[in-house]
Amino acid sequence: MSERTSNQVDGFEPKIVAFLCNWCSYAGADAAGISRLELPPNILPVRVMCSGRVSIEMVLKALMAGADGVLVLGCHIGDCHYGSGNHRTVKRIPLLRRLMTYMGIEPDRLRLDWVSGAEAGRFAKITTEFVEAVRALGPLSLPLREGL
Amino acid sequence: MIEDIRALARELLEKSTVECVIGYEVGPTGRVRPAFVYEPAGVERLIFDARCYHNLVTYLTRRNKPRKKGEEVPTTAVLVKPCDARSLQVLLNENQVQRDKVYIIGVACPGMQNADGTPELRCTRCDQRVPLIYDVLCGEPPEVPAVTDTYDDVERIEALPLEERLAYWLGELDRCIRCYACRQACPTCFCSVCEAERDDSLWVGIADRIPEKAFFHIIRAFHQAGRCAECNACEAVCPMGIPLSLINRKVAKDVAQMMAGYRAGESEEPTPLVTMLTGEEAIDEIH
Repeated sequence: MSERTSNQVDGFEPKIVAFLCNWCSYAGADAAGISRLELPPNILPVRVMCSGRVSIEMVLKALMAGADGVLVLGCHIGDCHYGSGNHRTVKRIPLLRRLMTYMGIEPDRLRLDWVSGAEAGRFAKITTEFVEAVRALGPLSLPLREGL
Repeated sequence: MIEDIRALARELLEKSTVECVIGYEVGPTGRVRPAFVYEPAGVERLIFDARCYHNLVTYLTRRNKPRKKGEEVPTTAVLVKPCDARSLQVLLNENQVQRDKVYIIGVACPGMQNADGTPELRCTRCDQRVPLIYDVLCGEPPEVPAVTDTYDDVERIEALPLEERLAYWLGELDRCIRCYACRQACPTCFCSVCEAERDDSLWVGIADRIPEKAFFHIIRAFHQAGRCAECNACEAVCPMGIPLSLINRKVAKDVAQMMAGYRAGESEEPTPLVTMLTGEEAIDEIH
């Protein structure tokens, strides 16, 4: 049995939306599944053609709509299928994270990383790490949820 | 200075160099407001003093409406302070305004004042007294003050613990009534259909509730990343007194810090958010 953190007692299971780029990270996620690696069930994968397509509206809407954390995974810098799409991502996501922190949202609820199509193990490791990091933070603050 | 501005405007209109001169005038209630002068006789309405805080560049994108085939885009003259000129440079960089269709009347700026005569806070930390771009400069350039903008207003919020920051912003943004005055006043907010009002995707709802209001402002500030000239128009027009400059300046500070000192409107380079990596950035590792 893998280790459980004390929050497991409270029953809080974080909901994570993961934006995965079609060419690298989504393929990496597929590879992890095919290799039957243990993956956290908390991840809701959303396939996009490029991590550069992930707009801040998407990230913030995910949080508003019920996600406790958002993961953005793209191709490594230099390997983007569209050349420089991930250049946009690498500037956009850290800037958004800083603004979110400034407005009072924990920075560890947003993570950006690079996973190639062959890195099944890396996908498993990052998703597991991220779920545990968000579990420790608890659910996103209630006033920030829409529809209530 | 005001006689120079009026004489220049009169000449531009008499010779039909421009169709309209956008400047400042005193309105019927005694407050200063933007002026749109189409006839040479109208130039007598124009004024310029420390009450002229408005950023007139925002009106230039309104003149971009679709025109009939063969109809020429008219040339417009606009009065710009140094901060306004920065937003104009951003519009030029983004091809929202054609350089040959705008006649830029730069004014040497003494700094703006609040209604009680005290200097506006943003002017006390500004070291630009002459616009970086103009066709003609009116007024004697005053002495450049030896000030540096340290963004201490932003740092004060950054220093608060996270829970206090959240409580602060929820409290401030709760007053927002989604009037969009900030968006309308902003020169670089020119989308014909605002992302916040698109009912086909509705990334952020239009409900008058805290999540929607908070996220609208986060999104709007982010859309100005590397484009906001810190002209303070948004905060000046907010009817609810929300400290919007604290959000926009936070983004501007981070862009400068992470992207090699970039400041909007000071060069012909577009915002770094849309360009490729140069290798000179110092972007946070969040892996």
